[in-house]
Amino acid sequence: MKGRPAFRPVLSADQGLALGLFLLAALSPAVIQDNYFLDTISLILLWAAMATAWNIAGGFAGQVSLGHAAFFGLGTYLVALPQVYWGWSAWFGLVLGALAAAAVGLIVGYLSNRLRGPYFALATIALSQVLLVVFSRWREVTKGGEGVPIPFRPGLENLAFVGKGPWVYAMLVYLLVVFAIALYFERGRLGQLLAAVREDEDAAEAIGIDTRRLKVLAIVVSALLTAIGGALWAQSIGFVDPFYVFSIDLSVKMALIAIIGGMARAIGPLIGSVLIVSTESYLRATLSGPQAGQTGLYLIIYGLVLILVVRFLPQGLAPLMLRLLRWGKAGA
Amino acid sequence: MEALAQLLVTSLLLAGVYALVSVGLTLIFGVMRLVNFAHGEYLMLGMYLAFWSFNLWRLDPYLAVLAAGPVFLLVGLATYYLVVRPVVPRPHTVQIFTTVGLSILLQNLALFLWTGDFRFLRTEYTNVVYKLDGVALNFPQVAAFGVSVGATLALFAFLKWSWWGMALRATAQDRQAAVLMGINVDRAYGLAFAVGIALAGLAGALIAPLYAVYPTAGLQFVLVAYVVVVLGGLGSLIGALVGSLVIALLDVVGAFLVGVAWKEALYFMVFLLVLLVRPAGFFGQRGAEEFRA
Repeated sequence: MKGRPAFRPVLSADQGLALGLFLLAALSPAVIQDNYFLDTISLILLWAAMATAWNIAGGFAGQVSLGHAAFFGLGTYLVALPQVYWGWSAWFGLVLGALAAAAVGLIVGYLSNRLRGPYFALATIALSQVLLVVFSRWREVTKGGEGVPIPFRPGLENLAFVGKGPWVYAMLVYLLVVFAIALYFERGRLGQLLAAVREDEDAAEAIGIDTRRLKVLAIVVSALLTAIGGALWAQSIGFVDPFYVFSIDLSVKMALIAIIGGMARAIGPLIGSVLIVSTESYLRATLSGPQAGQTGLYLIIYGLVLILVVRFLPQGLAPLMLRLLRWGKAGA
Repeated sequence: MEALAQLLVTSLLLAGVYALVSVGLTLIFGVMRLVNFAHGEYLMLGMYLAFWSFNLWRLDPYLAVLAAGPVFLLVGLATYYLVVRPVVPRPHTVQIFTTVGLSILLQNLALFLWTGDFRFLRTEYTNVVYKLDGVALNFPQVAAFGVSVGATLALFAFLKWSWWGMALRATAQDRQAAVLMGINVDRAYGLAFAVGIALAGLAGALIAPLYAVYPTAGLQFVLVAYVVVVLGGLGSLIGALVGSLVIALLDVVGAFLVGVAWKEALYFMVFLLVLLVRPAGFFGQRGAEEFRA
């Protein structure tokens, strides 16, 4: 029998790894000058946060969505349009988008509660498609298919920054908030209730858990956080294209990062984002120019990795990474 | 009035193709309880099959249509044994993301091999136009409809009268009972999946002369097919046919009521409405939407 460890670590391995990533990200703008590199770091943070937001509904509540682009897109448009029309501060738009997405999440979550598995996924695809058609065709209000350029008025009061460094901090703050909420959904009392629902919904219902309220809550929180991500992304890019922000590709990317990283734990999407977004960014830099046609190649590999991971590593890569880490520590 | 007649006939002819795609999708779901999120990619591959066999070997596109059935039957079988079979007993999430992964893989394989260019299959058939009371139709439209109806009827006959067809229906109704009756359920799954894929590939080859061929060409068709099958009831073949007709009519009504640009929104609104009000659709078994493996 193994003895009890002499001391109990203050942080679990998951939390330690997350903390390390946050610290690295926080230090990066001071050390790194290269704009492309900094841009990659803020994208890693953004996608980590959005995949985490997706995971609150998809992983923790078992409501697998393929239409989270709907919430993302609402976030982008509601931050962009009020600035264009009335010159509002982006912060108002961000809050507005978050509330709108939460409202849509509430309706969808509440109405689609009976739907399980692929039916829920189909319903969410339809939702994002409806919004795509509305936002790309309603020219008078949304400026239609050409998209919306956001006027650049730098300053914190307007959530617009010169240079890439401040964006790393903005995305980091966003990720910290989302991650803290996800931890609560994973570890807290809420997490235990959700685990019960996920494992056996009928049994959970039978012991008096209000499964509907729990699932709706998870979807609302997930939608709200995703919309904030959309707003931040729109502000950092300065342009909203309906065919991208409401695309199925975007919905799939959020899910894919969470799944490849690991859906069962809060750390999973972080690991997924580090792996996927950094490879993507690296390949985009190396495969540009004459080799641009090969972009399909890394997406082929994604598809393959996704198929292999769900089949052979349903817990994602997180447990594997953590074991490697522990093994590395033991070897040192 | 003439515009209405033209629209009505065009929509009805297109409904035949939607029916073909949807029947395959719903057959796979009915037998395996699995939504194939890569269905549109096989349609896209069918389009490329017709396109390349004409452009490389000057093969008549309707020979490609003939070949598409058997070719995609094999492709479907290979997909089943390599990719789908291991995840059949697994939870929904695993099944969903296996076929989503397959969709990403195939789409980008096409992008990598043949680039994202829009390609058009133009043959002398396109110039063959029939006129009927002011309604103009070209040969590929009529052929797509005719072959679709023929293939769908053949499928129905196969399911109704052949031993394996009955085995498929039995498996769809009750997996356990089918096993007890001596049906090899694994083979039934493989057959259903392969036939579904074959229909998608066939549909692709049929519409290649009508639409642009590009790596994500399957998406718009498969999105409509999702609407159709949910409308009719996932797993119900008759439902898929009725759903296709409803979509064709929505097409016409939508074009007049809300304009062509908005009619897709109308599809998806109806789709959401059905999912929320009666997820089993017109003909689906109630409770199937809550099915858990």
